[in-house]
Amino acid sequence: MKKKIQSIRWLVIPLVLMLAACDPFRVEPEPEPSPEEVEGYAPVYATADMAGTIAAREAQPIEKGGKIYVKDNKLYQVEVGKGIHVINISDGDNPQKIKFIQVTGAQEVSIMDNYLYTNNVNDLVVLNIADINNVQVVDRVTGMFHLVDPALPPAAGWFECVDAKKGVVVGWELKTLYRPVCRKN
Amino acid sequence: MKSLKYIAFILCIAVAAGCDKAENGAPASADQGGAGKGGSLARFTIAQKHLYVVDNMELHTYSLENPASPKATSKVIIGEDIETIYSYKDKLFIGSQNAMYIYSISDAGHPAKLGNASHVRACDPVVADDTVAYVTVRSGNSCGGTLNAMFVYDVRSVLNPKERNAINMDSPWGLGMSGNTLFVCQGSNGMAVYDISNRYYPSLKQRYFDDTYYDVIPYNDMLICMVQGGMLLYELKPDGQILKLAKISG
Repeated sequence: MKKKIQSIRWLVIPLVLMLAACDPFRVEPEPEPSPEEVEGYAPVYATADMAGTIAAREAQPIEKGGKIYVKDNKLYQVEVGKGIHVINISDGDNPQKIKFIQVTGAQEVSIMDNYLYTNNVNDLVVLNIADINNVQVVDRVTGMFHLVDPALPPAAGWFECVDAKKGVVVGWELKTLYRPVCRKN
Repeated sequence: MKSLKYIAFILCIAVAAGCDKAENGAPASADQGGAGKGGSLARFTIAQKHLYVVDNMELHTYSLENPASPKATSKVIIGEDIETIYSYKDKLFIGSQNAMYIYSISDAGHPAKLGNASHVRACDPVVADDTVAYVTVRSGNSCGGTLNAMFVYDVRSVLNPKERNAINMDSPWGLGMSGNTLFVCQGSNGMAVYDISNRYYPSLKQRYFDDTYYDVIPYNDMLICMVQGGMLLYELKPDGQILKLAKISG
């Protein structure tokens, strides 16, 4: 008799395991298949040694044009993760690119008087732009906000996986993704 | 007597206009108090000599009393999935993926919550004035939800914003107000222009399909659009009509 119970015991263990595996009380959603084509976030990379450099450069082509700001007939457009384009729009028919301010991780821009506020990844930096040819960093506030998460995009959904071989993630840009693999819930 | 009254009336208007200019240092539609103008998708805004920054969850406030050296004055948790901030006079309008929050900046260094309005999960920039807030909600992979619409809130009672209207849209992104005209970017579905003479019942006047539109800033007699790969400039007429000037790209 005792032997019989023991053998049943051996049967019960796999049975319980099987039940747990298909848990009748929990409805497991079908994993959503990766979409063929979808709007989502992709990482913007920089090399580690570039991360802290801030300087006015010659005007550059707009590639990933981001947020916009206007003051005193000058238009500023963020180049996502890389810096800020400065454009003179005094003559609306003939706008002229003046400079490109290199700021790694830039996403945002605001200006008061001659001071431009932007983010150098997750630092708030203050630039004196009185002389646009010679932009100076006058202050930096570190560790205050979290605009850029190097591991995950700013919103849920499908995104382009991070590839560490490409450098450090300094921002995220929205673009059309094809068959994305990574997903933030 | 009648002409005297008339003169007095004109004088009053002139004085009022003069005060307005002195207060802002510029006409109302131009740069406010030494700061410029941003789009509706921004996470930075300057008002009352303070810089306001929203990250995913928090509102960070910096005094710009010395603009070369911002001083942190306050940090408050707003909620989850914060995306945008918009300032109007002594108020901040903050957009998250499921609500619009209104904060008072009467005490500029210490924003205080007044009210909020919840909505379905989606991406949602806000523009507003004394009476109305327009919130666009766009669904999609990175926004969640299934609704594409513009909600119109009565914000005269800021503690309790009331939904007055909802307008179905294709794919609304950023938006901008200029007088009685409201511009709503709709990505690859163009830009919709509404007459908002009646603030709570916008009426569609025109749609433009010159580009893929993401955000817009009305700036004096110019309309600046953030479009795919750059910017598009329009001349903005007082009646809200726009005329394409130039594209900045490449």
